[in-house]
Amino acid sequence: MNGYVEAGYVVGLGTLAGYAASLVARERSARRRLAGGGVRQVAAPSASESPAPGGEPSTVERPASPAAAPPPRHRR
Amino acid sequence: MSLTTTPTGPGRPGSEVPPAQLTALDAARGSGVGSVPGREGARRRRSGHDVAITATGALALAGVVATVWLGLWVTPPDRFMGNLVRLLYIHPSIAWVMYICYGVAFLASLLYLWPRTRSLRFDKLAGASSEVGVVFTGLTLVTGSIWGRPTWGVWWTWDPLLTTTALLFVLYLGYLAVRRIPGEPEVCARRSAIAALVAFVDVPICYFSVLWWRSLHQAPTVADPITGKTYIHGSMAWTLLLSFVTFTLVYAWLVARRYRLFVLAEREGDEGLVLAIEERRAESLQGRS
Repeated sequence: MNGYVEAGYVVGLGTLAGYAASLVARERSARRRLAGGGVRQVAAPSASESPAPGGEPSTVERPASPAAAPPPRHRR
Repeated sequence: MSLTTTPTGPGRPGSEVPPAQLTALDAARGSGVGSVPGREGARRRRSGHDVAITATGALALAGVVATVWLGLWVTPPDRFMGNLVRLLYIHPSIAWVMYICYGVAFLASLLYLWPRTRSLRFDKLAGASSEVGVVFTGLTLVTGSIWGRPTWGVWWTWDPLLTTTALLFVLYLGYLAVRRIPGEPEVCARRSAIAALVAFVDVPICYFSVLWWRSLHQAPTVADPITGKTYIHGSMAWTLLLSFVTFTLVYAWLVARRYRLFVLAEREGDEGLVLAIEERRAESLQGRS
């Protein structure tokens, strides 16, 4: 086989594989960030201070306990 | 852990969530910020998308394996180029996908700018397709250079096709840079869409450059664009066709993954906004006490 041919295939397919792997890794880390630390618990406001949110059914990701909540992160 | 609140609302009698566990997200939801209606439905739809993306990825991977096997070991060497002809199964397909990338980005940008179809989904699609396009353009230049060295005797020459392809690479790198300029999402999307339309001007110039100017690069030789007569036959033709289909599938998979990253980044941005509101609220509560 010609060395140029092998180089072409290795560079072409290797680059695509690397780019694909980077996309998968970035997606996994983004999902982890969203699932792990999306919402942080805060000090409980009193009933009078607590706004009564709308009653629409919703699904919210919450940490299991305040101890399990990750530290706050700064995002862009 | 996922908690589903009842329609009575958290903090009220009958709520599953005691007041002590209220988060600022609840407050934000009450003000309409960061609300997540229909997330269950989105999750169900996403699972369907996941299956489609996984199937596309599996098909693309199988196609790549088949193309490499056919291209390197099954198809015969060319009478004039010898084994170098095997680069035919990778370089033109990559260039083909490059044109698809920019074509899709152009159409998505047009659809975004058109008032009736304006949606940030088209902006994300244009961004995803352009980013994948830049990768494929770089690969077109590199694989072409690897093919050019043994056939033309040089790694690079200022040939019209090569030059316009390099210009395409730089233009879309610029487009990706424009996308990163901060601003309101709609403003950023409009700015990016206009940049994509401007950058696309080079695409037809690049494609037709081999016909418009004297070029070292060969003109289309797989088939005559006017008569439709093909100049490639047998296993070479089928392998070339397979490579075109395969790299198109690779493109679809990559764009789908990149698009999902845009969606996740957007969701992270939303939650960042909720966190900021939460922090301000905690600060104000501390100030009162």
